[in-house]
Amino acid sequence: MKVFKDLGWFFRQEKSSYIFGVVMLILVALMELIPPQIIGRVIDGITMETLTPRGLGAFIGILLAAAVLTYIFRYYWRILIFGASNRLGRILRERMYTKFSYMSPYFYQERRTGDLMAHATNDIRAVQMTAGAGILTIADSIITGGAVLITMAVTISPELTLIAMIPLPFMVVLTSYYGTLLNRGFRKAQAAFSELNDKSQESIAGIKVTKTFGYEKSDQEDFKALSDDVVEKNLKVSKVDALFDPTIMLVIGASYFLSIIFGAQMVLSDEITLGQLITFTTYLGMMVWPLLALGWFFNLVQRGRASYERIEEIMQTENDIGQEYMIEDAPDGDIEFDIGAFNFPGNGETALRDISFEIKKGHTVGIVGRTGSGKSALIRLLLREFDTNNPEDITYGGEALRDYNIVNLRAQFGYVPQDHFLFSTTIRDNIAFADPGLDDEVIHEAARLANIHEDILGFPDGYDTVVGERGVSLSGGQKQRISIARALITNPEVLILDDSLSAVDAQTEATILENISRVRHGKTNIITAHRMSAVSKADQIIVMDRGTIVERGTHSELLARGGWYHDTYSQQALRQSLTEELDDLVKGDEGDE
Amino acid sequence: MNDIKETVHLTARDQLKVLMRLISYTYPFKWTIILAFVMLIFSTVAGMIIPYLVMVFIDDYLTPAVFPEDEITMLIVIFLTVQIIGAVTTYMNIYLFQYLAFKVIQQLRIDAFNKIGRLGMRYFDKVSGGSIVSRLTNDTEAIVEMFIGVFATFLMAFFMMASSYVMMFVLDVRLAFIALIFMPLIFLIMLIYRKYSAVFFSYTRQLLADLNAKLAESIEGMKIIQVFNQQDRLQGEFNRINAEHYEYTMKTVRLDGLLLRPAISMIQILAIAVILGYFGLLSFESSITAGLIFAFIQYMERFFEPINQVSQNLSIFQQALVSASRVFRLIDEDTLEPEQTPRTEHEITDGRIDFENVTFSYDGRTDVLKNISFTAMPGETVALVGHTGSGKSSIINLFMRFYEFDEGRILIDGHSIKTLPKQELKNNIGLVLQDPFLFYGTIESNIRLYHPTMTFEAVQTAAEFVGADKFIEALPGGYHHKVLEKGSTLSSGERQLIAFARTMAVDPKILILDEATANIDSETEEEIQKSLNVMRKGRTTLAIAHRLSTIQDADQILVLNKGEIVERGTHDELISRKGIYHKMYLLQNGQ
Repeated sequence: MKVFKDLGWFFRQEKSSYIFGVVMLILVALMELIPPQIIGRVIDGITMETLTPRGLGAFIGILLAAAVLTYIFRYYWRILIFGASNRLGRILRERMYTKFSYMSPYFYQERRTGDLMAHATNDIRAVQMTAGAGILTIADSIITGGAVLITMAVTISPELTLIAMIPLPFMVVLTSYYGTLLNRGFRKAQAAFSELNDKSQESIAGIKVTKTFGYEKSDQEDFKALSDDVVEKNLKVSKVDALFDPTIMLVIGASYFLSIIFGAQMVLSDEITLGQLITFTTYLGMMVWPLLALGWFFNLVQRGRASYERIEEIMQTENDIGQEYMIEDAPDGDIEFDIGAFNFPGNGETALRDISFEIKKGHTVGIVGRTGSGKSALIRLLLREFDTNNPEDITYGGEALRDYNIVNLRAQFGYVPQDHFLFSTTIRDNIAFADPGLDDEVIHEAARLANIHEDILGFPDGYDTVVGERGVSLSGGQKQRISIARALITNPEVLILDDSLSAVDAQTEATILENISRVRHGKTNIITAHRMSAVSKADQIIVMDRGTIVERGTHSELLARGGWYHDTYSQQALRQSLTEELDDLVKGDEGDE
Repeated sequence: MNDIKETVHLTARDQLKVLMRLISYTYPFKWTIILAFVMLIFSTVAGMIIPYLVMVFIDDYLTPAVFPEDEITMLIVIFLTVQIIGAVTTYMNIYLFQYLAFKVIQQLRIDAFNKIGRLGMRYFDKVSGGSIVSRLTNDTEAIVEMFIGVFATFLMAFFMMASSYVMMFVLDVRLAFIALIFMPLIFLIMLIYRKYSAVFFSYTRQLLADLNAKLAESIEGMKIIQVFNQQDRLQGEFNRINAEHYEYTMKTVRLDGLLLRPAISMIQILAIAVILGYFGLLSFESSITAGLIFAFIQYMERFFEPINQVSQNLSIFQQALVSASRVFRLIDEDTLEPEQTPRTEHEITDGRIDFENVTFSYDGRTDVLKNISFTAMPGETVALVGHTGSGKSSIINLFMRFYEFDEGRILIDGHSIKTLPKQELKNNIGLVLQDPFLFYGTIESNIRLYHPTMTFEAVQTAAEFVGADKFIEALPGGYHHKVLEKGSTLSSGERQLIAFARTMAVDPKILILDEATANIDSETEEEIQKSLNVMRKGRTTLAIAHRLSTIQDADQILVLNKGEIVERGTHDELISRKGIYHKMYLLQNGQ
């Protein structure tokens, strides 16, 4: 029942819905008591020949009133209770989304999207069920069950009620026993099903191999064997599942049998009337559902509790990036790195050590080095995806990065990530992501700067082309250029290109870099790259290796130094010239056609 | 995400067609169906007898207060027997219907899966693997629910209603006729419900899908959202869909409340009022027995009870039909693999390959191969080089019969590959892919695959032949080492060696290497190269090479560009020509 206590805030918030809902349920239960009473009284009236047309009319009138009232009350409890539970789902979903919005990348690094989705869908649904169907089942069990039981005992006979109730506990015990059997069997069936799922996946992924060897038939036999297993496991579940109805039938039958045998004796000894006996048996039929509901209730609560705990676990996770700040103003000025040592949380290896350099406002800084040399780690720290060990390790305008309001800090940056993530909406909305209200002209200009405008015009719907699974599929280079346009559109103080020119060719790279240097006068640019040509014009180039700076200087200084930068640059330049020659040859061929 | 989005709206006629086709799947199980029906009839009749027995007891014995011992005993025995028969047949009936459902779905699954084996590679180019899997499993699972939740429930409901009604007729014809007035009312309610619920249901589903898509996308792209300070805007969008979803859910709750359970409950009470009014009025003129009223009310209740169940399962029904239509679309898919017109006398003996003026296009517009002609003599190695998109993979796709072509001829030992029996092709052509796909199983099962007669020794010999034996034997369990997660615990070179062994185990006359060395780490490259040389010995080989160093000793190198052979010759000839090949060679060695 802990889940109800945990959900106390919600029940308090929806107090009136639940109170009125339960009142409606009580009224429904009371209304349901009426027809059996009327049936008994009319039968008694007929058999004892005391029924008058007036009396009959009154009875019918009561029934009609009961019919209409039941309809109204039943309708309203649904609206009240299911309405409230749906609101709970909505609130929880909204809260979870808010939570997700403020969690740092570390949170996402630790968890898989599928798991987070499961919390937001299955777990919320389970909690919602607890607050809806759960409340309904327990209220209905207690109210309807109790009302019927009391009415039977009070208006007819407590002894007969006791006798008729004897078989009912068997139903509760047996059905809950079936329930546990069912769960066990169901898990096995589920496992067999997921094996079949895996098999299908593998067969489709390996279809070329299977076709090459001509083993389609054997593959199909394999699939059949697994699907046989699925059938077998499911039928085991069915064998238990099919027990529910007959068991209930038998138990209720026994109850009927007892009440008619003993009731008949009471009728004969004039303790009750025949009509009362019939009323009694009708009530008996109304006891089935409340008893079953009780079993169902415990099941719901159990699931709801587990789900609520999982949701709470997410909601209680603290953001490891502090949101408090000391400086309201937006940062401005030079950025300075002075990192003694840094390692990512949960990873003992030192990712960065002895990093010290300055990025002057308005300068362009290039950071190069092998994969894993720490280039991206620097960018991630600057974006405050993680915090450095000491606040003063990175400063912006002389103040520690974390002293600024993170919203203002982020607003200074225009960031183009390595993995060019685009949203599945139109190209226009992707470029204008920072501000959907921007004019088309501004959007087109950003696209032109990123050298993607012409490409976009070539798409079926131009800027309104939807990207992603449901729309056009873009090449890696196109995605990168759209990401660049997305970052350029805000004309940010600091533009960060995190290896974001890797998928475009040398010519396009040069064009984009030229455009950037043309329009970004007095603004800072930070470019990390694998290709030295992307940083050769920078004011300062930092060469990183194994988490620290190994070379630094301008392009010509580094070339003169004859180190890693020099070697890599010459190698890449040679490759580039050969590739161009080859392209010319291939293009020349085309001309021959 | 695509599948959730795909809201197929079927017309009533399409629905009927899909339904009939599903029902046709039950024909092979007609004896099960007949048995299930018999059980259904028994259990329904048993249910009908009980109120009748109670009526007899009340009217014939209790009211007159006469209790002849043997007759009462008889009555009790009948009561208990009927109860037990009822319970047993109900059990059988429920079980048999579920059995039927699982068997039918299994057949559907097998049909769909077998279809996949016959589809051409073209189909797999355009449809993602994930969506095919979801046809096979999730969609078929939705149909299981329909068979159990709808067919069985509907049938039982129908029998129950019909037999209750018959009993009412037996008891009192006039009242039974009067009770008919409720039929059009219920029918009308169901009609209205179906009309609106279909709309609300698909909207709610769509909104939920949107909601989940939005959430999933936000989780994936949270970093970007945060860097651009767009949390509030996206939260707003999410809240809007969330609110809209809530609105529609509430519409469904209201609709259910207006037309389902509450409405049926009301009608039930109204029916009791009609019965009591009727018998009450009648009792002023003639005598009416208590048992009769009791029995009539019981039957009336049994008449209404199934309606509640049926109406609650209507939405399952619609969803299942949509799922079924998707499964049938897969089964009906006509993107089949190229067909053979086999001539049994055609055999592969030496392995000579001829391409004669082959022109091919994937989309019917742009030719990816133009007039390709070349010959590979038995035992020769022909290497294909060129940029991505030059057409080298298409040559292999055609040769492997993954795609059909219309212009030109491809011959093996003088026979068209279209007339060679399929088995002859599969037995004599070995293909090694760039990405060696390993199946769940063991090393041994990955070399043997489904070969019916291959011995363990043959597996070992093949592994030794390609030089894979050393690393295999070093693995825990050796040849019985478990391959998990597509072999991700093995290095790419080791995986490729297993693929080599798999191909060598069937000893093909023709070897096709589709960039077999592209993904190999440099440590294993030498070994791979060694085993490739062994494998090529005595076999006609078509090789797409990523690294030119691997094909320097080829008998013939074809340089492809935009679907045409632009240079051909041996390595030395091509180098001295100083053309494209020479440039490519320099480029690779400039690394």
